Amino acid sequence: MSANNSTRIEMYRVIVRSRHFDDRLTEQYWVDKTPIFAFGKGPLPGELHTSHGQEPVAAGLCSVLSADDFLVAAHRPHHMAIARGVDLDKMAAELFGKKAGLSGGRGGHMHVYDASVNFSSSGIIAEGMGPAAGMALARRMQGKPGIAVSVIGDAAANQGAFHEVLNLVGIYKLPMITVIEDNKWGVTTHKSASTAIERNSDRAAAYGLVGEYVAGNDADLIREACQRAVDRARNGEGGTVLEIETARLRGHFMGDPASYITGDRKDFQVDPIPLYRAKLIAEGVMSEEQAAAIEAEEKARVDKAIQFGLDAPYPAPEEALEHVFKSA
Amino acid sequence: MSNDQATSTADVPASAFDDLTQSASSRVMTCARAQREALEWEMTHDKSVFMLGEDVYGMGGVFGTADGLGAKFGKERILDTPISETGFIGMAAGAAIAGMRPVIELAYVDFIGVCYNAIVNYAAKTRYMSGGQLNVPMVLLTGTGGGYNNAAQHSQCLHATLAHMPGVKVVCPTNAYDAKGMMHQAIRDDDFVVYLMHKGAAGVGWMGPTVKTTLAEVPQNDYTVPFGKVKVYREGTDVTIVGVGLSVHHALEAAEELAKEGISAEVVDLRSLVPLDRDGIMESVSKTGRLIVADEDYMSYGVSGEVIASVVERDPTVLKAPPSRVCVPDVPIPYSRALENYVLPLTGRIADAARSFF
Amino acid sequence: MATVDIQVPLELWDDAEKTGSIVIWLYKDGAKVTEGEVIAEMLFEKATFELVAPATGTLHIAVEPEVPVALGDSIGTITT
Repeated sequence: MSANNSTRIEMYRVIVRSRHFDDRLTEQYWVDKTPIFAFGKGPLPGELHTSHGQEPVAAGLCSVLSADDFLVAAHRPHHMAIARGVDLDKMAAELFGKKAGLSGGRGGHMHVYDASVNFSSSGIIAEGMGPAAGMALARRMQGKPGIAVSVIGDAAANQGAFHEVLNLVGIYKLPMITVIEDNKWGVTTHKSASTAIERNSDRAAAYGLVGEYVAGNDADLIREACQRAVDRARNGEGGTVLEIETARLRGHFMGDPASYITGDRKDFQVDPIPLYRAKLIAEGVMSEEQAAAIEAEEKARVDKAIQFGLDAPYPAPEEALEHVFKSA
Repeated sequence: MSNDQATSTADVPASAFDDLTQSASSRVMTCARAQREALEWEMTHDKSVFMLGEDVYGMGGVFGTADGLGAKFGKERILDTPISETGFIGMAAGAAIAGMRPVIELAYVDFIGVCYNAIVNYAAKTRYMSGGQLNVPMVLLTGTGGGYNNAAQHSQCLHATLAHMPGVKVVCPTNAYDAKGMMHQAIRDDDFVVYLMHKGAAGVGWMGPTVKTTLAEVPQNDYTVPFGKVKVYREGTDVTIVGVGLSVHHALEAAEELAKEGISAEVVDLRSLVPLDRDGIMESVSKTGRLIVADEDYMSYGVSGEVIASVVERDPTVLKAPPSRVCVPDVPIPYSRALENYVLPLTGRIADAARSFF
Repeated sequence: MATVDIQVPLELWDDAEKTGSIVIWLYKDGAKVTEGEVIAEMLFEKATFELVAPATGTLHIAVEPEVPVALGDSIGTITT
């Protein structure tokens, strides 16, 4: 079932928002980190794993989730957070380490939490899968609607937790979907060198689960596959392993020039945004003018959030001691 | 003498340790059964509490903590898990974040090697990293300790390994009254709690004769024992022996021997590693001036050093002599009986440490 | 007043040749116990079992912990 025009336009909007957010972050990341690079310098320190090229996965997935659902993302979370509706101002502030940030500056870019939209992200590879399974289990135990989605990279499918958790999803028939963003790279290791089979979606059968592979990095196709997976979960048919082909347009993180991506692997790095834009215009879903208006609106919205984050004050140093425990 | 604070609507007797003589119609229990009584009560009164672990439904768990609970509450609330510690501990943490109160059994603490990330990087740190948005109200029950010839990978205590990580409360009751009260407290606590029980203190029979001093009168009603307070098992004036887990009971045996030799030993049970009662430790050592720490964990970089630091940082002048550590001497626990008995902090070594002060 | 025997249940373990033991008595000799409540714990190999009082009355302990007992052995009585 294909989406209607307004849904597809909304997906384009979210994609554009996410890309512009990542572009602004990239620009801020390099402040004070040149001529000599060090992670600890500048307004946006630490590692930064941007989502350039992977936006369609977030847009497609989040367009079929509801408010009760849980989304657990991985160390490359921006597009997922944005598509899920995480507060943009507070997210920008968190990335800049400000008191007004989602976690008051305690989490940073890999650890984005917004309880109001049931979103969290996790910095250890595949670590978020167990918790997503638990969130799905909780919803069922509570008799409430809601499923859980864990988003991981293709290289995470080789981590022990992947196998343990999929087996748990299988035996407990949990309404938990595993979305694998197959960008073909685990830092500098190509998928063909790390993974014994071509498609991780084929691994689903080993756990009694449905596996589906979506090629093309196209938001419409992704949305349709996600809808199938979501329907299966809501109907009590259990978890799906959905592997989605996408493209990591930049290095693993900022500072990685990705010089190891050569030859036809480089040809694979295609930016999905101009393609989707052209497709929607060609199909009459939106006009050139509408596209430009969306781009301008989202640019303004993101710029405002970035500015909010830059202007917001830092937390007092002693606030580092807060929020370890709820009670003494 | 008791510094328990039992909270309950019924009249609750002071801790059974005031008087090791049981009163006429009161009931004593083992730690494991006392834990189970608390768990059963909580599961009956709070639908969000559920248990998971290996062999908990089928067998009641390694220490009988869930004996009979499977039949009572069913497979949906007592979940047998596959051998997937990283998977099911992560899963429990997620369920806790989503509003449940899972109680997990990790049979032996040695197995944290296969789920260390889920415990220390995920469950312990989620509240902090989210800036207080999310809580992880889960309880991880796990068995510690050696003394039954089961060697290095099934005999550890790892007190320090767990207590060291910010974001997890760590308790280690060693009598049945505390075991039940701290179990109630752990389940009701909105933070992540690791509840350690020394196998030798649990009262499970297959560890050998029950250690009498672990038994206690246990009230039928629910009550809590707060975290962060030491328990003084035996008052004394000449030397303080601070113990954890089964070592508390070896210390009590040592104290009996020492009393016959004219040495009055005060035995203090930490029972709560995080939060740690530094005031309580200081109070005892200020009185006696001599400190022994008996801890079945490895000596270096551990609880014994932490207890000593707690005193020395505040006021080293209270000490009449250098403190003494009676711990496992930084070796893996050996298999052969003579070797294992040599490394464990048993009664003889504790008593000798006290004698060496005089 | 009657005297009710407390026996090691015949179905507690499989092998009539083998012995188990009492781990603890939850009540002292002479204590008042109620029918159906747990009064002792037994151990056979690695498994522990709870024994319940067969009657309400006064408990008299005949066998202490750590003493080997066989299926069907009397370990105490209750006087009602």
